[in-house]
Amino acid sequence: MTLRDGIVLATGNLWRMKLRAILTITGVVIAIGAFVAMLSFAAGSHGYISNEYQELGLFNTMQVYPGKSSEDDGESKIPTLDMNAVDRFASLSGVNVAYPFDDFSVDAMFGDTLLETRAQALPVAAARTKLFSRVLAGRLFDGDEDREAIVEESFLEMTGTEVADSVIGERIVLAVRKPDVERALFHVLSDESGELGEALSRVVPESLGTADYRRRIMTGTLGGVARRFLEGFLEGGRVERETLIVCGVVRGAGSRSLRTAPILVPAEVARRMSAGTIGTDPAELYAALQSGRLFVGEGGGDGEFPRVTLDLGSRANHDEIGDSIEAMGFEVFSYARQFEEIRRSYLILELGLAVVGLVALVTAALGIVNTMFMSISERRGEIGVLKSLGADEETIRTIFLIESSIIGLLGALFGILLGWIVSRVASIILKIVMEKQGVPPIDVFATPLWLILLAVMIGLGVSLLSGVIPAARAARVDPVVALRSN
Amino acid sequence: MSRSWLSASNLNRSYDHGPNRVHAVRDLNLHIARGEFLSIVGASGSGKSTLLNLLAGLDTPSSGTIEVDGVMLGELEPRELARYRARLVGMVFQSFHLISHQTALQNVELALYFSDVGPTERRERALETLDRLGLSDRVDHRPAALSGGEQQRVAVARALVKEPEVLFADEPTGNLDRKNSEQIARILMESHARGLTIVLVTHDSEFAAKCSDRTVTMDYGRLVSENDSPRVRHDTA
Ligand SMILES: Nc1ncnc2c1ncn2[C@@H]1O[C@H](COP(=O)(O)OP(=O)(O)OP(=O)(O)O)[C@@H](O)[C@H]1O
Ligand SMILES: [Mg+2]
Repeated sequence: MTLRDGIVLATGNLWRMKLRAILTITGVVIAIGAFVAMLSFAAGSHGYISNEYQELGLFNTMQVYPGKSSEDDGESKIPTLDMNAVDRFASLSGVNVAYPFDDFSVDAMFGDTLLETRAQALPVAAARTKLFSRVLAGRLFDGDEDREAIVEESFLEMTGTEVADSVIGERIVLAVRKPDVERALFHVLSDESGELGEALSRVVPESLGTADYRRRIMTGTLGGVARRFLEGFLEGGRVERETLIVCGVVRGAGSRSLRTAPILVPAEVARRMSAGTIGTDPAELYAALQSGRLFVGEGGGDGEFPRVTLDLGSRANHDEIGDSIEAMGFEVFSYARQFEEIRRSYLILELGLAVVGLVALVTAALGIVNTMFMSISERRGEIGVLKSLGADEETIRTIFLIESSIIGLLGALFGILLGWIVSRVASIILKIVMEKQGVPPIDVFATPLWLILLAVMIGLGVSLLSGVIPAARAARVDPVVALRSN
Repeated sequence: MSRSWLSASNLNRSYDHGPNRVHAVRDLNLHIARGEFLSIVGASGSGKSTLLNLLAGLDTPSSGTIEVDGVMLGELEPRELARYRARLVGMVFQSFHLISHQTALQNVELALYFSDVGPTERRERALETLDRLGLSDRVDHRPAALSGGEQQRVAVARALVKEPEVLFADEPTGNLDRKNSEQIARILMESHARGLTIVLVTHDSEFAAKCSDRTVTMDYGRLVSENDSPRVRHDTA
């Protein structure tokens, strides 16, 4: 009997007992599926750590955000996340570099395209951290006073550039509008129609105590004043220009909390441009107007930052640094800590899958044993006939082992498919969780070839092992007895 | 009597059945020539089927020896014994023993699985043999869809398809009517005429006398009489 004959005989038998075969195979599918899902997480998260986190040095990166005023003591003042604070962070032991995220609106002229975008200061010390180590083309600048710019990958998209190298050496002209508060005020006062002045004069100060009246005045009269102020603001002012040479292209991180502006400029250039500037984004203008930032004037450098990034030494004590910054009244976000948290919750999932996989595997193995024993006891007569026709014990054993291997093989193949689906779904969920928690969302599930082969081998191994005893019993069937009782 | 090709000497087969011991075959001596057609008759339970199983190498004797073409079956490895059954022996069982979920064709083909015959040749030979037994329009039927006579002919086809040297047929006409019996008898005599050695077990002594060269009678596991059939076909053929 050739192997092919054996496979034909075995598949014929399984096909005849479809339902039973499918149920048995399902057991194997669940077991292998759980294993594949579990192992693909293990395989994927291993690559995850060694790639993205390592590459960006995220395990040594910390973000500091402005503190929130706590509810109970509304009186306590919130410390400002300003240059002063940055210097305090930098002086903490274990902190290599501390730099603010300090971006501003610019009009960028690149070739023929005019882009309304954002630029950010990148101190040289910060550029040397791993976060900016993914240089796609060119190089980073060497001095804070250089008249150069680095663009982020997204800039290439905006300009429709495909080859990163092609932007190196190109000229980029950045323009910012310097606000002119006096002219804006003058615009309000020089209201030719006189409507505003009239409206203001109609305001009855005594009635401002009434909520309803107050609302009407705010949205009507005062809104009109603000509108005119902004009109004047936007039309007036002078424009500051800087011409820079693009020296490098970097790939930023995918996460919200690490996103860089599309254009990175040396600290000195940024200081010159952003000093007292304000963008043309209406939302930003309103915000600046409300906070009073609009009226700060051209002092420069005393602004508040939305976040400060810390690059820590390899032996820095994260908890200690985090605690001392929190004690200053700021909020701290540690990637290492965050990653550990996510990892821990997924370890639980992994453990669950392992338990399910193991239990399912044992159950599946018992299922195969049971199915094979049933199949054999039903086919004793058939075994007798095969033996009378000249089948030796080896052949009978082979027929039944092939049968159980087919169960294992089919189970493994569909199990791999199931495991893959489970890991895809888990991956999507995990990415959403990561995005929400501000960690770069990366695929932590991988289904490498070795994993597929391993799953096939587990399926085959378990089914062969489960088939051994039944097959041996089949081989030992006494043909005379079997044929007599049939 | 011609030179013996298959011989049993002092053959015993007993079964322990609780405290009793059943001697299905006892002190049996039998010599069969190559190309001979031997009939074995005897009462039910006299040990005929047991003897056939022993001669076919399917059962092992409690004592005694069986020699086929100069080879002692008892000295063969299990694997070699299986080869003996696969190549030299054709068996027809008292109760057909067809595989119920396989078609007539598949049942017949199965006989060639264990003797290095390729799938194409297997199919050709099975179809040919079924055709010879008048079953060409029944090849795709399962046993349940066949009459008793047809089932028995499929069983005979399965035994003959491998062109064995010896055919052991256990009551091949047991449950058949006269017409079907005669058809089987004709097939057996045809094969015998081609040189096949046949050992036929039957309770129908008339049938035995009609086809075979020689008839022996079994009683309580022993051979009690040995009558040469009036006609010795292969002498005249
Ligand atoms: N496995 C067994 N265990 C116990 N006794 C057995 C076994 N096989 C056969 N026998 C006994 O051996 C004796 C011979 O049986 P066997 O089947 O050879 O008879 P037979 O001549 O073929 O009968 P029949 O004409 O009814 O087929 C019987 O008494 C039977 O009960
Ligand atoms: Mg019998």
